[in-house]
Amino acid sequence: MWTYVKWSFRILLLLLVGGFLHYTLPQHDIVRITNTYNRLTTVGSENSWAYASPDVGTGESTVTRDIRFIEAAFEDGSVIVYRNEDTGWIWPPYFKYDSSNLQAESGNLKSLQTAPKWVSVTHYGWRLAWLSIYPNAVSVKEVAGPDVRIIPYVNIIVLIALAFGVFMLRRMWLQFWERMVEPAVAEVGETWDGVEAQAGAAKARAGGFFGRIGAWFGTWRKKP
Amino acid sequence: MIGILRAAVLGFIILSVAYVLISIYSRSVRREKLEKKFDAGGIEGDRDAYIEDGMRAYEKGLRHRLLWLVYIIPALVVSATIYFINYQ
Repeated sequence: MWTYVKWSFRILLLLLVGGFLHYTLPQHDIVRITNTYNRLTTVGSENSWAYASPDVGTGESTVTRDIRFIEAAFEDGSVIVYRNEDTGWIWPPYFKYDSSNLQAESGNLKSLQTAPKWVSVTHYGWRLAWLSIYPNAVSVKEVAGPDVRIIPYVNIIVLIALAFGVFMLRRMWLQFWERMVEPAVAEVGETWDGVEAQAGAAKARAGGFFGRIGAWFGTWRKKP
Repeated sequence: MIGILRAAVLGFIILSVAYVLISIYSRSVRREKLEKKFDAGGIEGDRDAYIEDGMRAYEKGLRHRLLWLVYIIPALVVSATIYFINYQ
């Protein structure tokens, strides 16, 4: 029973972290831009998380505002719609404030099916029709053809940096545990050893995760 | 415009927390290394004095100063991101 709970929790955590990274990290689509326009869009409470916050500069109203869109088609004929909004300064950390220029560039790269211009659109986010959310286009670049291979350097670097950060956090935690908590626990054990009757109680107190942390806090107190 | 200031303040706070944590960690690793070196034998004199000397040398050393990279690297990354997203 406990194993199931533990594994469900782990899988849930993995899904959350993976989904978060998949939403936030940049991806490249090679498409043909078919149309660029802006339209008044009503953002509801259920999907506002996938739009820029209203003070970013795209619009003044929180509910209904003008948002730029870029429509595109893949080589196989399936379509995708990107929004083109400034990201603001905190999250997601793209620091994009040139969406007007991006709209002009995308308009310039528009092409017909008979004479296609292939464009690599860097974007983050998801297209979920049922939530009315669109990936945010970050940059456009003309490429030679629909089969060009793009190496995701940014993702590689970010993922390595994240893994390094987690590794360092773990190292720091283990160092703290080894140097601060364990000596404190040993000290508690020694102090109480003299008092035979209460030794059992002290051991119980110094046992377990919180007992050890408590013992470490105990070392902050003035020694009698 | 106020957004930049808010992001700068928030970033500074987060990086300062990281700086403090990493400097505590780095100091602790150095102290442990000095202790182990002394305990391995072959060093004359008082143990505490040896360790305090080593820690003073660490404070002035390059490794301690490299901790400023905690502020410098993210600033460079953000600047590079701004450049590549908006001016390329």
